[in-house]
Amino acid sequence: MALLALPARAADDAHEWLERMGESLSSRNYIGVFTHATRRQSETMRIVHRVGKGASTERLVSLDGSGREIVRTAEEVHVYLPDRRVVLVEARSDDRSLLDSLPEPGPQLDKLYELQIRDGHKLLGRDVRVLDIRPRDGFRYGYRLWLDEESAMPLRTVVMDGTGRPVELMNFTQLEMPRRIAASETEPSIDASGFQWVRHARQPRQPTQVAWRPMKLPPGFRLVASRTQVMPGIAFPVQHLIFSDGFASISVFIEPARPGGEAPPESSSVGSASAFSTLVHGHVVTAVGEVPLETVRDVARSVAPATIATPESAGAGPAGAADAPVLWPR
Amino acid sequence: MTDRIREQISALIDGELPQDEVGLLVRRLERDPQLRGAFGRYVLAGEAVRSPEGPLASRGFAARVSAAVGEDVAAEPVPGVARAAWSRWSRPAMATAIAASAAIVAVLLVARGSEEVGQVAQASLDRARDRFASLPLAQAASPTLAHSQRLAGYLVAHGQFSNAIGRRTAWSSVLASDPGLVRASYESLEAP
Repeated sequence: MALLALPARAADDAHEWLERMGESLSSRNYIGVFTHATRRQSETMRIVHRVGKGASTERLVSLDGSGREIVRTAEEVHVYLPDRRVVLVEARSDDRSLLDSLPEPGPQLDKLYELQIRDGHKLLGRDVRVLDIRPRDGFRYGYRLWLDEESAMPLRTVVMDGTGRPVELMNFTQLEMPRRIAASETEPSIDASGFQWVRHARQPRQPTQVAWRPMKLPPGFRLVASRTQVMPGIAFPVQHLIFSDGFASISVFIEPARPGGEAPPESSSVGSASAFSTLVHGHVVTAVGEVPLETVRDVARSVAPATIATPESAGAGPAGAADAPVLWPR
Repeated sequence: MTDRIREQISALIDGELPQDEVGLLVRRLERDPQLRGAFGRYVLAGEAVRSPEGPLASRGFAARVSAAVGEDVAAEPVPGVARAAWSRWSRPAMATAIAASAAIVAVLLVARGSEEVGQVAQASLDRARDRFASLPLAQAASPTLAHSQRLAGYLVAHGQFSNAIGRRTAWSSVLASDPGLVRASYESLEAP
């Protein structure tokens, strides 16, 4: 009951903590072990985040079961799936964009989320502040973040749906923030010799470029980037649209359907990440995001071809060159 | 533990396991102490998610599951803070946790042959199913490697355009070998 008596701090203070957290996550060296739990299962993960010469590299490892790893180098993201003897390779996107940092807290964010900061108890022996980011509607998730008083690093994160039901927990059981981390710490521990390496096609066939857009977006979401990219194991380039509400993001992937292939069944959730696919004008449209399933479903279902570009213009505009994100003004 | 057993346990906890598979799984749980331990960890992990602030609920929940399976459950510690003043977020979480515990304990008791408990179990399962049924049921066939890879690729690509919290969420999902990933990927894409 004592906590009830604690006054909520000024909203600006909560914004400052959000900014501090974003800065820490992108600019600090850290090595930690955390529990990642969803309603379906729990796994222990180890993360190494190393900042050197202005570029960050990262390694995320599952310590249980599968032993899967994701390594983000300066140029690529490698997903090691030893249980399937497969490595997926994805070109890394440019860190300079808005996409590696948290949003600028401001009036726009306040329209969508209610931010509140309060004192918390210790975690990992550290004093913490608890930051609540509560959605004002059901289109997005809320977050409760336990932030280290000194560094603003999130020691515990709970993702909740609009009714307050937790859907995901990330809880650090160890966290160190050393001044230096050896480069070897971000190298994979898996011997992937003999694995199948699934990279993007070298010269993907270019079908007619069609600009696709969702006709319906949840309040506050807007297109922030678009690119045509080649995906591991997919012969045709995939159009990738990225939408953000300033905190959460949704990706929409559009790829030509396989001739004669069945219509994709509609689905589904993975922890707090949701995915939904549907068939639109001979294309598979998949929306993915850390938002409720209903949100990605509505977005995917509303996608439609907007304009048909000429072959000469296929490499220009929002659906431009492969791997080159085009950013929209925020 | 095989992926199949892992998926069955998840489905049992969600109240989505077909009735004819419940009995088989419960008998296996009774025979296999290691599987019982894994089951307990699953239950506690799920409960930790549903009630992340309070270790008290986990202890009580563990005790109820322990009573049902007849031994201590290997509980993963859930570092907790003292229970804070519960916001509107917290109350539904507790209600859900209680519904889940009732459902799971009831399923285990059903295996011991009590008709009366069976009726209660079915009601609890129905209630839990209503609350948990955010995931559609998978189709009968097994997913293909290509399906899982494609969704994994999407999650990795999306994670690059998320904030740091969102990226960790998306990528952890890829690493977690969550049955939901397999299920989602299978349902998301066309047949090979």
